[in-house]
Amino acid sequence: MRNKMLKYLAFVLLFGVIGYNSVTFKSLSAVNAVRSNDAFDAPSYARKFWETSLTPAVLKSVSLNTLIHDLKSKPDSAFSQYSHALGIGNIRYFLLKGEGSVVAIEDNRVILKSSNQDVDSQIRLETEFVYGNAVRDAVGTIHLTEFTSTADLNQVSQELNKIIRSEIVPPFLKLVKAGDKVQFAGALELNRKYFTLDKIEIIPVSITIQGN
Amino acid sequence: MLLIAMCMIFLFNACSKKEEKQKVAVIISTLNNPWFVILAQSAAADAESFGYEARIFDSQNNTALESDHFENVIASGYGAILFNPTDADGSISNVAKAKAAGIPVFCMDREVNDVNAPTSQILSDSYSGCVTLGKVFVQELNKKGKYAELLGLVGDNNTWSRSTGFHSVVDNYPDLKMVSQQPADFDRNKAMEVMETILQAHPDIDGVFCGNDAMAMGAYQALLASGSADKIKVFGFDGADEVVTLIHEGKIVATGMQFPKVMAKTAAEFADQYFKGKRDFPKKIPVAVELVNSVTVSNYLNNN
Repeated sequence: MRNKMLKYLAFVLLFGVIGYNSVTFKSLSAVNAVRSNDAFDAPSYARKFWETSLTPAVLKSVSLNTLIHDLKSKPDSAFSQYSHALGIGNIRYFLLKGEGSVVAIEDNRVILKSSNQDVDSQIRLETEFVYGNAVRDAVGTIHLTEFTSTADLNQVSQELNKIIRSEIVPPFLKLVKAGDKVQFAGALELNRKYFTLDKIEIIPVSITIQGN
Repeated sequence: MLLIAMCMIFLFNACSKKEEKQKVAVIISTLNNPWFVILAQSAAADAESFGYEARIFDSQNNTALESDHFENVIASGYGAILFNPTDADGSISNVAKAKAAGIPVFCMDREVNDVNAPTSQILSDSYSGCVTLGKVFVQELNKKGKYAELLGLVGDNNTWSRSTGFHSVVDNYPDLKMVSQQPADFDRNKAMEVMETILQAHPDIDGVFCGNDAMAMGAYQALLASGSADKIKVFGFDGADEVVTLIHEGKIVATGMQFPKVMAKTAAEFADQYFKGKRDFPKKIPVAVELVNSVTVSNYLNNN
């Protein structure tokens, strides 16, 4: 009887030790604290990217006139030379700069006519629907391997677009009027299999009204 | 004589082994959805085009059955798995088992929430595709109105990528009010039932965003039955032939075209490269989703 009791006690102690070492209890607040410390700082990443990658890249970007010419005459080469994308598929992004005269100010965009007579495309600077990956991908310097989480990658686009919606578009819209001459730089999305050039929709990253 | 016979037997076995093809398993979440049938059949055909033997396993949206398939595949000597998970978290252990057995796993369309377990994950960029759909949605509804959202399977990351992408645009417009958000599991019949229920409570909605085209078709059927198909705008995601046709006819507004054949082909290519010795694959590759609406639909008729 005594031996049985000792045996049971030994088993209970053994399972107790195993059980105790198998389970760890952490307070939810402690876990959340660690999570928030490790969380990706998308606003800082986007700001740094804007200042150190995007702004220098704009200076070296292709002119819209050259891009349109090359897309019409040698489209495969133009896509290969000037476009970037993080994923695979037909959607590609171009970083470009150009100038034009304001012909219309609409609710969602400002429409320009190119100063180049040979360019008959309608240039649309998007002012309302500034969303998507155009600015993030057009520069071509961000790599998938930098991110373990797709959500973090998506947040970069969101933060870049927030900068445009809050810092680039409002000052422009306050001052712009029909007839103004405008210099701009921005990102353009095109489908390399199905693209048209009659309306060029550009997400602007810089806009200057000449004379202002 | 005995020595010659033994040499001949040895040579015969060696030749037989050389002719044994590598086997590739295609484990798919469900074959009850035509989109996944295309994914599975394309993956199997692509694997076979590289000279491998391929077999499709249907998990029927059941993680336990998926686990059985993995056990079977590991025990049967398959060399690679082209995988479409049932659950982003629940499927991780299955992928880990295959990895431990030295079998590479290439996820197609759906991901698991573990960067290290799969060899590579080839996924549609659902978030960005739904950002584009969100823009179209806001413009179609003129930045105001009431709408409902039908979600996919709650355990599938695609459900949340699509919903988050959509809301990242739409939630910036306070006059657009979501009156109902319900899961319909990516299933057409369930979507029809859910939509019928939503319409009873909210007959005056202006639009419905559905996380896939099967649900868009189910929602559209419910709207037809209630006589409100002309008033309520329907949006889907996938690029299914039926929905592309209805977009062409002006009955559904838009969808996002995915490319299951591109994902399947990339996964099969990766498996082939793995068999030939390559090991450095990108952990995730997004595949661009293209907008199909009244402006672009002529490019996509008969796409699948």
